[in-house]
Amino acid sequence: MKGYLGKVLKVDLTTGEIADETIPDSVYENVLSGIGLGAYYLYNNIPAGADPLGPDNILGLTSGMLVGSGSLVTGRWMAVCKSPLTGGWGDANCGGDFAPAIKACGYDAIFFKGISSKPVFLHVDDGGAELRDASHLWGTDAIETEDILRKTCRVKLVPKVITIGPAGEKKSLISGIVNDGGRIAARSGVGAVMGSKLLKAVVLAGKQRTKIHDPAGMKAYSKEVGAKFKQASAPGFIKGSAFPVLGWVLSKVKSVSATDGMMGVMMNKKYGTIAVNTMGLPNGDSPVKNWGGSVKDFPLRKYKKLNPDRILDRKIKSYSCYSCTIACGDTCDISDLGDGKIEHTHKPEYENCCSLGTNLLINDLDAIFLMSESLNRAGMDSISAGTTLAYAFECFENGIITEEDTGGLQLRWGDADAATRLLEMMIAREGIGDLLADGVRVAAQKIGKNSEAYAIHCGGQEPGMHDPKLDPMLGVHFSADPTPGRHTIGAGNYYNMISLWQEVSWAPKVTKYPKSQEYIPSDEEALKSVALACYKMLNDAAGGCFFALIAGLEHWNLFRMFNDTTGWGLSADEYMEIGKRIQTLRQMFGVKHGIEPKEAIMTGRVMGEPPLESGNLKGITLPIQEMVSLHWKHFGWDENTGVPGQESVAELKERALVH
Amino acid sequence: MRVKIYASGYCNFEHIDDDGFMTLPEGASVNDVLKRLGIPLLLRRFRFAAVNYNQAKPGTVLKDGDVVSLLSAMSGG
Ligand code: SF4
Repeated sequence: MKGYLGKVLKVDLTTGEIADETIPDSVYENVLSGIGLGAYYLYNNIPAGADPLGPDNILGLTSGMLVGSGSLVTGRWMAVCKSPLTGGWGDANCGGDFAPAIKACGYDAIFFKGISSKPVFLHVDDGGAELRDASHLWGTDAIETEDILRKTCRVKLVPKVITIGPAGEKKSLISGIVNDGGRIAARSGVGAVMGSKLLKAVVLAGKQRTKIHDPAGMKAYSKEVGAKFKQASAPGFIKGSAFPVLGWVLSKVKSVSATDGMMGVMMNKKYGTIAVNTMGLPNGDSPVKNWGGSVKDFPLRKYKKLNPDRILDRKIKSYSCYSCTIACGDTCDISDLGDGKIEHTHKPEYENCCSLGTNLLINDLDAIFLMSESLNRAGMDSISAGTTLAYAFECFENGIITEEDTGGLQLRWGDADAATRLLEMMIAREGIGDLLADGVRVAAQKIGKNSEAYAIHCGGQEPGMHDPKLDPMLGVHFSADPTPGRHTIGAGNYYNMISLWQEVSWAPKVTKYPKSQEYIPSDEEALKSVALACYKMLNDAAGGCFFALIAGLEHWNLFRMFNDTTGWGLSADEYMEIGKRIQTLRQMFGVKHGIEPKEAIMTGRVMGEPPLESGNLKGITLPIQEMVSLHWKHFGWDENTGVPGQESVAELKERALVH
Repeated sequence: MRVKIYASGYCNFEHIDDDGFMTLPEGASVNDVLKRLGIPLLLRRFRFAAVNYNQAKPGTVLKDGDVVSLLSAMSGG
């Protein structure tokens, strides 16, 4: 009756053994479900030094505490594991309809260990769980695999399916896990872990319902939230062509205040994230030319082709994940593109448009649509793949990679055909593509010749497509999160939208302040970044969506929804302690596996070393070491090393969270 | 009356207090808010303000406790 089932499914792929494991209530009380449950389970069950692609690594698929509770925009699932990309904590988040399916089978999570002797998929329904042969599916792309399994495993219900594509099968370290026709839990190399286990897919068809403490209270709150989200709509004058102007206006901003997250929801409802396609150039948010250029290299006459209205011209219908009334996604018609065999695709979001477009000086939207769809089918992360293409282009420009290496391919900035072909080679691990298929860190280690300078990553993972020199707190989270490079933990912009100070006693209140304050390391800025990291952990423990989270407490309040679900009656401060605990567990996981957090602090051109020579962010270098140090201090971790201090560790031990 | 204002970085914050409220005379409209925020006359006719999360015209009359939000942009994705 508290939103969780108290049970997980354990699958040993080496022995074929499948068993339930009861999880004590105290675990949920201390770290909730979702990412918290995942961190607890993996910390205690993966031996130190385990090979991420070996039998000892555990792949977890978690649902969330609020999934199926009657709350809105809480239908996200997570894949968790030891990351083969960073060597530390790995997780990836995805929407679609898989999160409620885990709970409908009677579990809060499913954990896989071992390695199967042949390709298999796991099938679970109310009759039980079994491993089935997937040899016939090995080599099939993710979208086709999902279609096949939805049809062949259908009894009454159409089952929910997640799967890897060829990239995961080939253990590309930048591969993810796919569901719902090309949505992807993309980060951390979770697809490679699934591929290493010869686990092709998971098919769920349970019918159980989740019970919560106060269904009437939740219903009333969801009605309120739903009504607000419903009426939020972008003003009519907002057209794609207005975004460069808006971006320019924002580049001039000298002072900052609390903003209304609902305005973000309005934009998301219409555009998803693609408003940033063109807004991000004048203000410098979007990285250009492998993070080394600016709008000067990709001026309006070029980038205007990425106008989000041109993407929406292909829209067939809106798309939403389970329980979501924002519906930021769109299904787009691409039947006239390429060989015409693929009729539709998920709208390429901003991260794709920038990593496969702006950052490569490519403005060919048709090519971006097709590359995105290829990545969805292969199950490869667009941020990492695009960043790796940019690395290769810059290596080519500097003679480090030659035509001899590429098989005759000339990697020239802006050449969409070359990018498309190289991407195909990466997905197939063909020629130089094999070397690039594991992301920039591995590629630079293999290629050498001082190419490390062009390899943009934090602790092994390629960062999201947002320049922290515009929003320094983003750089803190790129550097300090246990999954480094993550752009969805927090930023100053988000802090000002969420208004945590309304309920969290220690979260600094924002009135109005000069933008320049964000660039100076301070306890206040550090407390903000800590607060966001804690709240984001709660979100990922809930199964919530980041786009609802940034609507702000006034419109979508996790604390309230947790209490309706659990009946615990905890205060916001008490929940934030839970968030802090989850983050500490994730950090300790990395430390247990030999990660030195300070090694992930991002340096180089992303942080302005050397500074950009043009554009809105020219001349800026972030004092990132000091910022990260303060962030760690306010987490109670060692401010020089980022290792959780005695007190934090003792607390986790006392609560029986680490064995 | 007091009206909650979510302004953006391009605004003049002079008339907003530390809790984010603006004090206005009874009968004040969205246009009065925009004027105090320093939005140029030419731009005020664009409907980029919302009152209680509904798009509003410059002439929309406000009442105590209303929430006026100005279009702001976010990074992210
Ligand atoms: S806002 Fe978008 S990503 Fe989030 S749950 Fe809704 S449809 Fe999915």
